[in-house]
Amino acid sequence: MRARLATAVGGAMALVVALSACSKNTGDSGDSVDTNKPRSGAIATDPKDSLGPAAEVPGAAKGGTFYILRESKISHLDPQRVYSFAGLMGSQLYARFLTTFKDDGKGNVTLVGDLAETPGKNVNNDCKVWEFTIKEGVKFEDGRPITSKEIAYGIARSFDPDLTGGPTYLQEWLADTPQYDTKWDFKKNKTSLPPGLTTPDPRTLRFEFSKPRCDLPFAVSLPATAPLPPDKDTGVNLDNMPFSSGPYRFTKIQPGVEMVLERNPNWDPATDAVRHAYPDKFVWTLGPDQNTQTNRVLAGTGNDAAAVASGGVPSELLAKITGDPALKARMIVAATPNVFRLSINTTRVTDLSVRQAINYAIDRSSITKNLGGPYGAMPLTTLLPPTTLGYKKFDAYPAGESGDPAKAKEALGGKPVNLVLGTGDETWQQETATQVKNALEKAGFTVTVKPIPADGYLDFVKKKDNPWDIWVDSWAADWPSGASVLPVLFDGRGLKAEGNSNTSQLNSEAINAEFDRVLALDPAKQADEWSKLDEKLMKESAPAVPLYNEVVSVAHGEKAGGLFIGSIFGWPSFVNAYVKQ
Amino acid sequence: MVRFLLKRLLLAVSVLLAVSIVSFLMFFALPRDPVTGMCPKNCNAERLERVRTELGLNDPKPTQYVNYMKGIFVGRDLGSAQGGKCEAPCLGYSYVNSESVTDTFARVLPVTLNIVLPAAVLWLALGVGLGMISALRRGSLLDRISIGLTLTFASLQLYFVGAVLLLIFVYSLKILPTPRYVPFLENPVEWARGLVLAWVTLALLFSAIYARLSRAQMLETLSEDFVRTARAKGVAKRKVYGRHALRAAITPIVTIAGIDVGAALGGTVITETTFGIQGLGRTAVEAVRQGDLPTIMATVLVSALFVVVANIIVDLLYAFIDPRVRLG
Repeated sequence: MRARLATAVGGAMALVVALSACSKNTGDSGDSVDTNKPRSGAIATDPKDSLGPAAEVPGAAKGGTFYILRESKISHLDPQRVYSFAGLMGSQLYARFLTTFKDDGKGNVTLVGDLAETPGKNVNNDCKVWEFTIKEGVKFEDGRPITSKEIAYGIARSFDPDLTGGPTYLQEWLADTPQYDTKWDFKKNKTSLPPGLTTPDPRTLRFEFSKPRCDLPFAVSLPATAPLPPDKDTGVNLDNMPFSSGPYRFTKIQPGVEMVLERNPNWDPATDAVRHAYPDKFVWTLGPDQNTQTNRVLAGTGNDAAAVASGGVPSELLAKITGDPALKARMIVAATPNVFRLSINTTRVTDLSVRQAINYAIDRSSITKNLGGPYGAMPLTTLLPPTTLGYKKFDAYPAGESGDPAKAKEALGGKPVNLVLGTGDETWQQETATQVKNALEKAGFTVTVKPIPADGYLDFVKKKDNPWDIWVDSWAADWPSGASVLPVLFDGRGLKAEGNSNTSQLNSEAINAEFDRVLALDPAKQADEWSKLDEKLMKESAPAVPLYNEVVSVAHGEKAGGLFIGSIFGWPSFVNAYVKQ
Repeated sequence: MVRFLLKRLLLAVSVLLAVSIVSFLMFFALPRDPVTGMCPKNCNAERLERVRTELGLNDPKPTQYVNYMKGIFVGRDLGSAQGGKCEAPCLGYSYVNSESVTDTFARVLPVTLNIVLPAAVLWLALGVGLGMISALRRGSLLDRISIGLTLTFASLQLYFVGAVLLLIFVYSLKILPTPRYVPFLENPVEWARGLVLAWVTLALLFSAIYARLSRAQMLETLSEDFVRTARAKGVAKRKVYGRHALRAAITPIVTIAGIDVGAALGGTVITETTFGIQGLGRTAVEAVRQGDLPTIMATVLVSALFVVVANIIVDLLYAFIDPRVRLG
């Protein structure tokens, strides 16, 4: 598993933009924002779940043009290079993958087969050999059938070092080394396939790994598994005009200005369990900033009535929207999988009772209030985000919403403890640091604040010998499995001089053994185990203090229907979108 | 005339050459390695080195500069990672935009030209017209209103006026679409409707300066001896003001207009951001923010080209406007 740096940085930066301004908003906490909705998820075991057509959305109608307002261009459109939230959610319109998430918008997600008939067959039950059977009737925009060959070619071209930007899970797993492009050179082997990837017949795709890769069904839900016929491969220029396998195809792309998607007549809804493709067209209007976008959809002039302001509601407009029931009905609010925690450097804070005392002392309510209240952040007491499959809520150190200084003092047992708190220099970081410092000092700690240089926050806290005891970290997983969170953040066997995602530098034999045990289980059986391991980690090691989930609020015009925030990436999903007639 | 033009062109070329060398050097002085941005994940020293070699960043700097200039005049092959063959004028390949910088410019340059040029016509007509009328009717109510208005607009900020106009015409009255660029040849009406707010905003702010400047210039010229002489000789008031005084008064205005238009073409970033239109200015700012060096470099060059060209045009106009100026 790889740290998804791009997301971690991007998520943190997005938060800076979204939340630094929110600090003035006091947040009316009596609000009924549905961020605590119960969530459940699973990997589909019944092949029927992967069949189309997707169940109708009540009230939805076909036709019209749906507009998506966004400030800047999407960094990549080429499915093998897509990795931004907008790209990941947007690519569902023009590309299909091996698997995908059926997301009801209420927090229930099921991993189903997209181009594949099922979310994968674990051939020997050891996670080393996986087979996918490709559905019949799936076609490209030019009418050619999609077979395992084109999917394999798509995966092969992601080995090309020219095609930067995309995830690297499959490449690294197949090549069994992070240096995958030296192990298998795509440019010299365009007619063959990477090691371990085969297409026994046009409807079968087979992966063979040297190590168990139980997360494969999740990893192949990323757009890198989108198919591409070799004759349509235009290299880096595919970014300027992708070749469609989904319900829409691009008819016009003007980077930074506009992108137009029109119906792909060769897409058959009967093969698709997730996408509806209600509107005749999707148009991305690029340019307007967050403020302009939201103002436009609220005013709803002309095309803007059927538009979504994808940049999110800026804090200046929150009061206006929440104060008007008609406008409030046009704002969707949901927690994202981007979770923030107070990392504790366990090589510096070696005493477990001190780490437990820190957990008792932290005041989550003051931190989240500072970040915009229910529209900016949701308090969290688990290391896993609530969007994780098999998630169970628990609080290993119950101290109420605002911390329990008395309990913290009790855990400390009168020991004098000095802590060095690292903080970045963005406004939200400094304000959060102030809240952390205040709460810890109330519990009897002595806290020294030491800045972390802004131009390399992540580089610095990932160094083994860093001078901080505690600091705020964030993590956004690529799929809702505990496997993409806990082992990445807390397995201590791979600790290096720098670049450690395990910033707490926890290295517990008992915990490491648990990671190995759970990772070897069938992915469907792992879900419950990760939640149990989360609790065990918090109780027995307390390597961090879970703080909060990022929350996004997105406004849309009155004719824009069927929108919801996707549970996997915390960004608007367009699979159910329709234009109200 | 031809000699003058040649001399000016030679000067222009040397200015552009100097700008290109300085910006190319800055390209390397910026505290950002262009390669790290291209390989955000799993970047180890070995892979970085390979990317650097492939991009020619390990060549000696003079060689890189020559290659870049060669690209502009005859085109060059950038390699598969940068979209292959790049025709002249090749301004390099942007990893951030995943396209050749020339393609980016071919798209954003017309947008900026369509914002600035009509706006310039508007602000010159409005500004010089108001200024002249105020000067001729000095002390009148019209003069005082015009001074008051121009003073007000001259002290306002573009993003404020722009936001107010947007609020009135787009969000409240809903008589204009949200600003956007539609090519003139595609739909002239929508072209005007989409850009009119940007033109008016620019014109309101810029014309204030021109109104005040041309009023002052005109008043000064009107007090010159030759005006009195012409009037004394019985030349019609209209002819004296229109032909003699205006011509003399407008010379410094043309100078400033040349610089303003040239600079506006390279720096409409506030206008473009206020109205959410993607032109050269926003492209430049985004390029700086994202460390997109080839685009930054090209923006610097193109902006310099605008200023230089605007100045040549101004110099040529002098000859036509002011008979005292002789080119040669």
